[in-house]
Amino acid sequence: MKKFLLGAAISALMAGSAFAGDVGVSMANSDTFLTVLRKGIEKSAADASQPVVIEIADDDVNKQLSQVQNFIAAKVDAIIVNPVDTSATGPMTKLANDAGIPIVYVNREPIDVGALGAKGAFVGSNEVDSGTLETKEVCRILKEAGKTEAGILIMVGDLANQAAVMRTKDIHDVNAGSECGVKLNVIDEQTAGWDPVKAQDLMTNWIAAGHKPDAVISNNDNMAIGAINAMKAAGWDMKDVIVAGVDATQEALAYMKAGDLDVTVFQNAAAQGGGAVETAMKLAKGEAVTSPVWVPFELVTPANMDQYTTKN
Amino acid sequence: MSTNEIASPANVIGSKKRLPPEVSILGVLIGIAIVFEILGWIFVGDSFLANKQRLSIIILQVSVIGIIAVGVTQVIITAGVDLSSGSVVGLAAMVAASLAQTSANPRAVYPALTDMSPIWAILAGLGVGLLAGTVNGSLIARTKIPPFIATLGMMVSARGLAKWYTLGQPVALLDDSFTWFGKSFNILGFPLPLPVIVFLLVAVIFHIALTYTRYGKFTYAIGANPQAARVSGINIGGHLVKVYAIAGLLSGLAGVMTAARAASGQPGMGVAYELDAIAAAVIGGTSLSGGVGRITGTVIGTIILGVLTSGFTFLKVGAYYQEIIKGIIIVAAVIIDQHRQNKRKKA
Repeated sequence: MKKFLLGAAISALMAGSAFAGDVGVSMANSDTFLTVLRKGIEKSAADASQPVVIEIADDDVNKQLSQVQNFIAAKVDAIIVNPVDTSATGPMTKLANDAGIPIVYVNREPIDVGALGAKGAFVGSNEVDSGTLETKEVCRILKEAGKTEAGILIMVGDLANQAAVMRTKDIHDVNAGSECGVKLNVIDEQTAGWDPVKAQDLMTNWIAAGHKPDAVISNNDNMAIGAINAMKAAGWDMKDVIVAGVDATQEALAYMKAGDLDVTVFQNAAAQGGGAVETAMKLAKGEAVTSPVWVPFELVTPANMDQYTTKN
Repeated sequence: MSTNEIASPANVIGSKKRLPPEVSILGVLIGIAIVFEILGWIFVGDSFLANKQRLSIIILQVSVIGIIAVGVTQVIITAGVDLSSGSVVGLAAMVAASLAQTSANPRAVYPALTDMSPIWAILAGLGVGLLAGTVNGSLIARTKIPPFIATLGMMVSARGLAKWYTLGQPVALLDDSFTWFGKSFNILGFPLPLPVIVFLLVAVIFHIALTYTRYGKFTYAIGANPQAARVSGINIGGHLVKVYAIAGLLSGLAGVMTAARAASGQPGMGVAYELDAIAAAVIGGTSLSGGVGRITGTVIGTIILGVLTSGFTFLKVGAYYQEIIKGIIIVAAVIIDQHRQNKRKKA
């Protein structure tokens, strides 16, 4: 009985094994966003009749490295990696390059993006665009309302996260440049760690401190929603405050429909997954690819939100 | 100073002549608040404390931590630890939210179970917590593995379950009758949020249970001296299951309140809450070596965490510096408290 169970367990594990002709995929984890991306990979692979083997690295750098080594040992046609740690991609790039197997990084920009070699590429969205699109739209709405100066509060994501740092820098860059047209005065800038409850508490603390912002610019939708809930609880009219987020989640779109959220930005996870498969297949055939392959961020406002209700 | 001297439950429960030990930590709380008040007038030109909204948020933002900390305090008194609280919050929030969705959601987790009475969502969340806590307690009592390991296992598995439950998707669009439990009410012009009321109610119940009932006496006895407790006929295993089950139940309650406040359930909810709860208990005078601790102290410890968060935002302290300073203040608060208690003992 024990042997039978062991055999069953081994064959279950073997089901995930890669063979020559496959494309091996190693995903960092399976959160909401990366699940959409993974489905994008599965769909476009199925459409192109390209067999794929997908592994999840559970946010473990070493596990991901072993998965890549296993793919190389199985002589797959190409490898797609959604890196756990963008600063630890060097060893994986080297392993793939040495074996002559194409390697495509997706969604998270690897630190060696300029040195991926002829058989390496990065497919993703440019984080500079997300915060810039978000802030410019806030500027546009403020200008339309006839303002020349506006007070803003900034909600920052996890401080150790590149997207949080980049999107916050984008806000300051747009303000410093000539693109905004309205002078944004940053009343305060604090982290709420991507979390809606922490964001709700932060906003309530700001309200208690007497801050009256014209706009709240958040690094993601979750925190923007937390801010909206706090402002509503304090009896604020959401028409008086512009709230902006990033991600275009289903929940965020519901808040936008209700008139509470004004701006969000859509990152096309499925298109990134599809782009990664396409790029991997091209490289496997020996075609040249210009890296990085950018999948643009898209601005979502009440005017065009209906297009996005089924995308995420 | 022998350990038996502090750890004797008679010292903790019986002494009415001396001031209760949490008076000194209350002094630390008042001291921190006064520092913020003074800095407020100097740097912001405004009062820190004379603001109803701020007094309300100081407790509101830590009420979920406080609910967990009440359970964790009891676990630590038995010389144990519960690392699973944060993950159980996440799992309970997911399960409760999934039963509280409106039919307006085209992609509800259970399309047939929408627009239900919130009682089912709450019971499910509490049930998940109770179950997780009972498993923790039974593992510790039956297999004799250290509580650190048993609850570490639960921490990892419960977080995994929370993610698996909807395959990582957040559970959104919850019914108003459910989110009502996260809302605020104006009582005589003072904003009183429901999570705060629940937190204080839970604290009062377990303060009474620990101070005046047999349950409390057993809890202190097991933590102070397990051999003596066994000899005096206490069923240690059975009692530990109860203590961990209560801690789990309170984590489940915290999960329900979190989902109600955020009006959504997310698998990442409650990450590292167990550490804040342990910090609150320890700041409040609970000893990690067991046998010592009071709910009143834990409540004060919890409020200290809230005052720090609100105070930093009030003074616009940069986000990077907040965490650095917070860690130092937590350790300093405990050092000051212990120093004063030792001085009083010698006197």
